[in-house]
Amino acid sequence: MNNLPVVRIDKVKKVYHMGKVEVLALQEITLNIAKGEFVSIMGPSGCGKSTLMHMIGCLDRPTQGHILLDEVDVDELDDNSLAEIRNKKVGFVFQTFNLLPKLYAIENVELPLIYAGLGFDERRKKAADLLEMVGLKERAFHRPTELSGGQSQRVAIARALANGPSILLADEPTGNLDSRTGDEIIHLFKELNDRGITMIIVTHDQDIANQSKRIVRLKDGLVIADEKLRA
Amino acid sequence: MSLIEPFKLALKSIFSNKLRSILTTLGVIIGVAAVITLVSMGEGAKSYILNQIGAWGVGANSLTIHPGEENSHMVELTLTYEDALALRQKVKNLQYLMPEFVGRGRLIYGKKAYVPGFTMGVSADYPFAYKQKTAEGRFFSAADELGRKRVVVIGKTVAHNLFGELSPVGENIKINGVGFTVVGVLEEKGAILTYDMDDMALIPSTLSELVLGSNKIWEMFITLNSEKQVDQAIKDVKKILIARHRKEDFHIHTQQGFIDIINNVLNAMTGIVSAIAAISLLVGGIGIMNIMLVAVTERTREIGIRKAIGAKQRDIFLQFVFESILITMSGALIGIALGTLSAWGIMAYIKLEAVIAWGAAYTACLVALLVGIFFGVYPAMRAARLDPVEALRFEA
Repeated sequence: MNNLPVVRIDKVKKVYHMGKVEVLALQEITLNIAKGEFVSIMGPSGCGKSTLMHMIGCLDRPTQGHILLDEVDVDELDDNSLAEIRNKKVGFVFQTFNLLPKLYAIENVELPLIYAGLGFDERRKKAADLLEMVGLKERAFHRPTELSGGQSQRVAIARALANGPSILLADEPTGNLDSRTGDEIIHLFKELNDRGITMIIVTHDQDIANQSKRIVRLKDGLVIADEKLRA
Repeated sequence: MSLIEPFKLALKSIFSNKLRSILTTLGVIIGVAAVITLVSMGEGAKSYILNQIGAWGVGANSLTIHPGEENSHMVELTLTYEDALALRQKVKNLQYLMPEFVGRGRLIYGKKAYVPGFTMGVSADYPFAYKQKTAEGRFFSAADELGRKRVVVIGKTVAHNLFGELSPVGENIKINGVGFTVVGVLEEKGAILTYDMDDMALIPSTLSELVLGSNKIWEMFITLNSEKQVDQAIKDVKKILIARHRKEDFHIHTQQGFIDIINNVLNAMTGIVSAIAAISLLVGGIGIMNIMLVAVTERTREIGIRKAIGAKQRDIFLQFVFESILITMSGALIGIALGTLSAWGIMAYIKLEAVIAWGAAYTACLVALLVGIFFGVYPAMRAARLDPVEALRFEA
């Protein structure tokens, strides 16, 4: 069971159409990620890191090739099923947090639970527990503008974990944070990874990448290096 | 996800943009308020008019027979007292029959003389047919009428002019030289249009020829036991009178015709107002669509975030459609409230009562719902179909 990859990326190619210009974001990527791994994806800007993340997170579809989550080919699913995967199976953490500014921290955490169909009492309790887990219990009724960057990112992580996903995707999660706060976030990721959640983060900070278990380097839409740091 | 969540989201978003929501819905409010005001006033005016007619005894169960052919300019007095007697005997379901022999009478009491607006020979049915009470004394009876008793009932204006503050009942007067005893004074009716309905003297129909010099009937008023019998009565009257006259030298009016005219006028008015309201709702709807499109663009990033954490197209679509429907529906409700209030205000000012236009209110709600759906669907579809990756990249 553990030998089967939780994410299988098979000869994936992605072409964007920007008006009449074709942009080749991913040439051909093949990559397997096993359950419980903590993978850093590194590379210069425009190398296709974010594109790859979007496709693993079912926000986008490959032009060619296949992406399999738990051996299910994402390409064969309709938009509603993809939305369900985004809701339940993967959690997404962004560089800019992407919290809804008009909602309280706890309401932001509740959002995925609303789309999962939970009733008010149940989701409020769950969201409160998640905020406690990321250490923001007393900030539940603050709006994002009243929170620091680190706190906002913790709310975003709580939101990503709301429906108990098996994979957490983080796109430059420390990019907008100072290094001390960034370290705290990475520490939180390590804890989550210890609990069995598969972590995939995009970063160009070598120090942060060094704390993960595996580093994959991309350049011009190709994998150029794949090194295991620890088991 | 149920329908309640997108509804709540829409409600939240409307309340977080209060000023914009109110401005957006203003077109709908004005359109609906205008219709409700005018329809409420129209319904109020209609019920007032119908009540007035009812109070005068002229209900839907009545008809009037006029001498002469319909639409003829020469009024030929073709109906006689004998015609009235024949109708009283033969028309089925007859309730009251009231021939009117109209003439001029010079009334003399002591040294005072007065000529009322009308001096009429009428039947003893008069107080029942026209719901006329006496303020003093009594009306003359059927026995008085048949017995050609020289009794007269006078209106307040006549009483005032002849007797001043004295009670006229029991006094003897002369009408065109014929001696009469005043047996009653009519209760005040006021003026209808410009006719003073209290300026008249009523004598038994059997004395019309003697006093007024004519046995010709100006108008005959008939009521039936039920308004369903009016059609049959018209047939009866025609058959009886044509048998007697050998031609149709009379015409019949029913009150339904009058009521129909009032209804037609009010319906035409309502139609015009509804057309204006429809334009207002259309313009309002376009405004709402415009604002919704702006809102979708403004909230592109929000939509991207919602999609990234699992919102389906349907969820986003419903959120925006509900927002549009909520705007138009609340506009309709506010418009109904404002329209009803202003109708009551105006009608109170002219001392009438407005009738709450429930029918128009239901229609307004329904139309507002349809406008909300129609003009909300396109923006909501645009929102639902946004590509999540591009939406997340969007900078407001």
